[in-house]
Amino acid sequence: MSLLEAHGLVKSLGGRRVVDGVDLACAAGHVLGLLGPNGAGKTTTLRMLYGFLRPDAGTIRFDGIDVGGDVGRIKRHLGVCTQDDTFDGDFTVEQNLHMAARYFRPRPSDVRARARELMDRFGLLPHAGARPETLSGGFKRRLMIARALVHRPRLLFLDEPTTGLDPQARMAVWDLVDGLRAEGLGIVLTTHYMDEAERLSDALTVLAQGRVVAHGTPKSVLGDLLGEHVVVVDAGAEDGAVAGWLASRGLGAPAGVLGQWHVPLRADDLADFARAFPGLRYEVRAATLDDLFLKLALGPCTG
Amino acid sequence: MHRLTAAFEWQSWEVVGRHARVYLRHWHTSFLPPAGEPVMMLLAFGLGLGGYVTSLDWRGRDVPYMTFVAPGIIAYACFMTAIFQSLYGAFIRMHYQKTWEGQLTTQVELRHVVWGEILWAALLCTSYAAIVAVVLAGCQALGLVALDFGALVLLAPVVFVAGCAFAALGLLFTAVVPTIDHMNLPVFLLVLPLGIVSGTYFPLEDPRLAPLRAVSPLYHLAEGARGLLLGGPAAGHLGALLAMAAVMLVVLVPLDLRLLSRRVLGE
Repeated sequence: MSLLEAHGLVKSLGGRRVVDGVDLACAAGHVLGLLGPNGAGKTTTLRMLYGFLRPDAGTIRFDGIDVGGDVGRIKRHLGVCTQDDTFDGDFTVEQNLHMAARYFRPRPSDVRARARELMDRFGLLPHAGARPETLSGGFKRRLMIARALVHRPRLLFLDEPTTGLDPQARMAVWDLVDGLRAEGLGIVLTTHYMDEAERLSDALTVLAQGRVVAHGTPKSVLGDLLGEHVVVVDAGAEDGAVAGWLASRGLGAPAGVLGQWHVPLRADDLADFARAFPGLRYEVRAATLDDLFLKLALGPCTG
Repeated sequence: MHRLTAAFEWQSWEVVGRHARVYLRHWHTSFLPPAGEPVMMLLAFGLGLGGYVTSLDWRGRDVPYMTFVAPGIIAYACFMTAIFQSLYGAFIRMHYQKTWEGQLTTQVELRHVVWGEILWAALLCTSYAAIVAVVLAGCQALGLVALDFGALVLLAPVVFVAGCAFAALGLLFTAVVPTIDHMNLPVFLLVLPLGIVSGTYFPLEDPRLAPLRAVSPLYHLAEGARGLLLGGPAAGHLGALLAMAAVMLVVLVPLDLRLLSRRVLGE
């Protein structure tokens, strides 16, 4: 059974319907990746799930119990790491962990030991007495995640946890997320990084314009929405013919990237493409989530 | 209704506890304004100006200016502390430090954040008033003022409630000003004028000012404090002040919450 289930979430902000009927689910010990271009409604969806915003419509169930739009009732079990750093600059790293524990009832047990354990695990022990602003970007992020865990939540929300980090720091965060999942924590994360979503998520929910456009494992999402292959063609003489061929098969417009056309195709379409353009020079590669984003950014999905 | 009863929920007091801890970490610098400012005021207005005025007529009594101004300084300190804490302090925590956003990811809701700010401002202005009182006690020992210090105990809860109301007003501006520079508008158009013309530093006897007096909670606080500390009529002013504070809280807190939920949560 899913730890968290949401059905038909709707939210309007500033007169615009930002989230328009989103369903999603996340089980204990699983990572749900919430993907989508900017403005797709990822952060707003996440904010409804962790109780920052109240949904206009829809239901949220936690552990099978309907929270009736009032996520406040289950916030004791939720850990939240927002996109912006929100730790308290007036306190040290260790005090930040102690302070966060004060905002939960029933009070978390053994807060001091728990804080030491988290700092040890996140490599923060050498910085225990430091002010957070003296930490590097990667360690600030670790502190944010550690703080979200101090009260031993059952479900963790990570809003773009690695945005702005260097590759080494990103991978350190990935390792932490992997470890937390192995311990049975449910994790919902949003990300712009396709490799991150593919690497970390057990399931993906893809949002575009406030709606779910695909859901499933990273591989099945790609297959459903795009096809498994991407043909990369240099822009040139055959542009009109390729575009015409795609349009005639209802495959939409190809994505233009730096003078090349990236055309996602299913296996049977690829075979037809090869027959239709025997003289064309092109390259075939596996589809990635980047292709999905390009397609979503270009307009409504046909897949 | 839960917007008002949130004042008694544990989350609001944990927020107060957080602000108090930060304050106490910087006690050696944060202690200066409450202790330094009234000393400065007493020197400037009491000793300096008082040397020329010597005494004035207050409710038919001849009162030394230093003694007249002392309760006014307590009232002014309360007003300014609550307003500035809820204007600048709260704005910095909301906008720059993201303290509110961090708190809102826990079991703390916006109503607790808001009440935490209000209660903290009130607690701070009560402790400022207490520090001013200690300074005044020093002046009394030097024979500079003649006040009834026993009445100060009665004044403390009044200052606390008034501080809550002033802070609720300050948060209204925090909710609407676009940038911290725009704080100058409420500060110079409302807060400072109100501070000066509320009988804190000079008597407000001109009948043309009667309507202003009647609606200024600071005037009732200053006159009520004067009544208590100088042995004059106090109940009327303190009653009016508490009634005004109650109305301000009932009206302003829900309004603050509505405006701040738009600003902070985007809805």
